[in-house]
Amino acid sequence: MARDVINQKINDAFLRKALKNFAAAYPVARAKAFEGIDFEELRGRIAAFKKEGLGQLPELVEEFRASAEQAGATVHLCTTPEDANRTILDIIRSKGADFLVKSKAMTSEEIELNHYLEKHDIRCLETDLGEWIIQLAGERPSHMVMPAIHKNREDVAELFSRETGKECPPDIPYLVQVARETLRSGFLTGQVGLSGANVAIADSGAIGIITNEGNGRLVTTLPQTHIALIGVEKIVPSLAEALDVIEILPKNATGQKITSYVSFIKGPTGGEGRELHIVLLDNGRLKLAADPDFSEALACVKCGACANVCPIYEIVGGHVFGHIYVGGIGLVLTPFFHGFDKAEEILKLCIGCRKCNEVCAAKIDIEGLIVDLRDKIKKPVGQKFLFGTLMKNRKLFHTALRAAYIAQKPFQGKGGRIRHLPLILNRETANRSLPPIAEKPFRDLILEQSESRVPSPQPREKVLFYSGCLADFVYPEMCQDTVESMEALGYEVSFPQKQTCCGIPARYSGEMEVARDMARINMEVLLEEEADFVVTICPTCTMSIKHDFPKLLAGEPAWREKAELLASKTFNFSELAARKAGTGDIRMGSGNGEMQTVTYHDACHLKRGCGVHEEPRKVLRELVGVEIAEMTDCDKCCGFGGSYAIKYPEISQEVLKNKMENIAATGAKTVAVDCPGCKLQVEEGLEAGGTGITVEHSASLLARRLKKG
Amino acid sequence: MVGQFATAAEAVGATVKRFTTLSEAITSLRELVSGRSVAASSLPDSVHSLIAPLHFASRNMLDQAEVGISFAQAGIAATGSVLLELSAPTERSATALPPVHVVLLRASTIVPNLAALRDTLQAALSANGGRYLSLITGPSRTADIERVLTIGVHGPKELYLLIIEGE
Ligand code: SF4
Ligand code: SF4
Repeated sequence: MARDVINQKINDAFLRKALKNFAAAYPVARAKAFEGIDFEELRGRIAAFKKEGLGQLPELVEEFRASAEQAGATVHLCTTPEDANRTILDIIRSKGADFLVKSKAMTSEEIELNHYLEKHDIRCLETDLGEWIIQLAGERPSHMVMPAIHKNREDVAELFSRETGKECPPDIPYLVQVARETLRSGFLTGQVGLSGANVAIADSGAIGIITNEGNGRLVTTLPQTHIALIGVEKIVPSLAEALDVIEILPKNATGQKITSYVSFIKGPTGGEGRELHIVLLDNGRLKLAADPDFSEALACVKCGACANVCPIYEIVGGHVFGHIYVGGIGLVLTPFFHGFDKAEEILKLCIGCRKCNEVCAAKIDIEGLIVDLRDKIKKPVGQKFLFGTLMKNRKLFHTALRAAYIAQKPFQGKGGRIRHLPLILNRETANRSLPPIAEKPFRDLILEQSESRVPSPQPREKVLFYSGCLADFVYPEMCQDTVESMEALGYEVSFPQKQTCCGIPARYSGEMEVARDMARINMEVLLEEEADFVVTICPTCTMSIKHDFPKLLAGEPAWREKAELLASKTFNFSELAARKAGTGDIRMGSGNGEMQTVTYHDACHLKRGCGVHEEPRKVLRELVGVEIAEMTDCDKCCGFGGSYAIKYPEISQEVLKNKMENIAATGAKTVAVDCPGCKLQVEEGLEAGGTGITVEHSASLLARRLKKG
Repeated sequence: MVGQFATAAEAVGATVKRFTTLSEAITSLRELVSGRSVAASSLPDSVHSLIAPLHFASRNMLDQAEVGISFAQAGIAATGSVLLELSAPTERSATALPPVHVVLLRASTIVPNLAALRDTLQAALSANGGRYLSLITGPSRTADIERVLTIGVHGPKELYLLIIEGE
C-alpha cells in the first residue's frame, strides 16, 4: 500500500475522529442489542447452515431459481460482472427506459454497475443517503454498512449545494430533508428500480431486504420493473435460516435490534405490467464455494462488524483497508472477486489481532484466511532467503542474532535502547526506540547455570520451557524470571537447547513450507524429552504450537498425531501458574505490606488466539498480590504484530497511541502483560511519552514478589 | 407483552397508544388525521367502514397523501415491530410515501420475538403468486451523515401504533 495514501488517511483529522468515535460507541450499542440473545449459539447456527449450504450451492441456486420463477420472477444467473452488467442493461432497454433508481447493493459496487450503465447512456440514481453522497462525490464506499462514514457535514453540504443549485447549510437534519425532497422525484419517475438483497430463500423463492431509510421499499414499489442483484451465496434453504440472518445482521452491523424495515418479496406484485428480475451474481462464488480452504469466506452476511472492531480499519478507514469490500472480510474476498493483483498489498495490512473473529456473525476465521491467502501472493525479493535459508537453520539464525548484538552497539542510546537501526531498517524504524539484543541470550545463560542447579528431592511435574526468540534474545531476564517462578511454584523446569523459532514470522509472510519445517523441528525437540507440560511466555508461540502446527500438518497423519499431542500439553505461563493459586504449594509472603495497583493489557494472541484472559488476572491477584485497575479496551491490540511494527510503523504507532491513552487513564504505574512483543511495543510508547510507567511480564512480577518473600 | 412491545417501539421513536376497544382507537385515529388527506393499505371491513368519512387521496396521487393508515397482522414484542402484508403497490405506497403513518394493532397478535413469527410469515410466503410483506419498526431513519441519527429520510417521519387490547 502506498505510504502516502496511508499517511494521508492517518492525517485526515475528521476521518480519524469519526472512526474513533464509532469504535468507542459500537461495542456498547452492540452489547445492548444482543441483550437476552445467545450470540454464540446464534452465530454457531449460522455458521453451520452456511457451511452446509455452500457445500450444495449449485443445488440451492437451482431450487431458488425454480421457486422464484414459479412465483413469477425471471431469474438470470450471471457468471461474470460483464454478464451481469449486460443483463441489467438489456432489461432496462427492453422497458424503453433510460433511468435507473437504486437502493443500496454491494453487488452493484462489485460489478461497477453505475459506471457501465452510464457509459451506455442510462442515468443511475443512488437513493440510500450514504450511497448518494458517495455517488455525488465520485467515490467508493468506505464501509459496507455506512458507506459515507468518512464524509463530514461540510463535505455533504457542499455536494448537495452543487447538486441542487441551492446553498445548503452544514446542518444534518436540513441535509437529510434536502435528500428526501430531491430524491422523491427520482422514486416517482424511475422506470426501473434496482435493489440488492440480504437473503434469498430457496424453498419459497422470496428475497429479504433490510433497510432503515425506507428507500428500499420505494425502489421496489414505485417503478413497474424491479431488478434484484444478489450474490448467489445469499441463498439459504428456508425461512428459518433467513430469520437467523435478519436477527443477527442489524445487531452486529450498527447495534440496532432490527432495522426500520424488513421486507420479504416473493415474485412480482401488482398485476399486469409488473416485473421482477432476479440477477444472481456468480463472479467466482460457485468456484470459491467448492474450494476446501477458502469457501468459509462466503458465509459472510455483510454486517461489517469485522471492520467495526478492527484496530487498523480504525486508523486508516475503508479506502485503504479493503478494495470494494472492506474490513477483514474485504481483504479475504477481494482476491476471489477482483483478482489477486488487487489484494496483494491490502492482505499485508492486517496485524493479526483476531478481533474480527470474535464478532463475526458467521463465525468465520477471518484472520486465519488472511494469513493463508498470503501464501498465494507474490513474495518480496529476499524473503525466500530470509526464511528458507536463514530461519530454517537454527545455528545460522542464532549466529545472525548474536552478530546483530555486535552490529547494534554503535547505535545504542541512553539506557541501552537502540535509536537507529543500521542499514536497510533505518528508514522504517526512524524515530523508534527499540530494546537491544542482549549480550547473552537466555539459552547461553541457562547453560552456564545448569551445573549449579540442584534437582528437587521430591518428584515434581516436569515442564519444558519454550521461550520464543524475542524473549530469548532480547529479554533473557524475563526467561530467567519464568524459570524461577515456575520452580517456586513447584514445577521442575528444563530448557531444550535445540528449540528454535516457532515459524510464525514465516507463516505470516506466506512462507507456508518454511512454517511447516519449523513446526516439525520444534515438535521433535519438544517431544524428545519426557515432560508433563510445555510452557511458553509468548502467546504467539503458544498459538502457533497449539493451533498452527496441527493445522499446517493436517495432511500428514504421523505428524498430525504428534502435533496434537504437543498441542494438548502446551500452555501459557499464566495458565500453569494459575493452577497453583490457592493450592498450598506456594506460600505467599506478605511482601512489603502495601497493595500495589497494576493495569493489565490482554495480548491479542493470548485472549483470542488461546482463549486465556481470566488466568493472568488470577495470577496477578492471588500470586503476585496486586490489585488490577482495568483499562478501557484492555484486549485491543497494542500495534506490535511482530514485523508489522517495522513494515507499517506509521499505523503501528497510531494504534499504540490509543493504548497509551487508555493506560494513562487508569493511573497505574505498572502495566502487566503476558507477551514479550506487547512489552516491547508498550514500553516504547511509555518511554517515548516520558510517563515513568513500566511494563512487566507477569512472570517477572511473580519472580520479584517471590524473592521478596 | 404489550408493555414490552410499547417500550421497544418507543425506544426507536414510535408513538404508542393503548385502547380497550376498536372504536376508541378509531376516535384517536380521527383526531390524529384531523382533516388531512389519507391513504390506506387494506383494512378489515369493520375498520374500513369506520374510517370511510375521512378524506382519501386519489389512488394515482398517493404521493400527495398526508397520513397513511394500516392494520397490522402481527406485532413483535422484543423489537416493537409490526407486520404488514402489502402485496399491492398502492398499499405499499400508502405506508411509505406519507410523512405520517398510523398502524392499528390487536394486542392478541403480538408475539415475543422474530422467530415466533415464522409460521405466520411462512404461511404468507407459501401461498401461490406474488407476496410483499414488511416488518416496520419505528419511523424511517438514517445515520449516514456523521452517524447522527436523523428521523424521516425517505419513509414516514412519524409512526403511531394504536394498540387495541380488548375484543
Ligand atoms: S485480525 Fe485484527 S487487524 Fe486483521 S482484519 Fe481482523 S481485526 Fe483487522
Ligand atoms: S466476515 Fe463476518 S463480521 Fe465481517 S461482514 Fe462478514 S459476517 Fe460480518
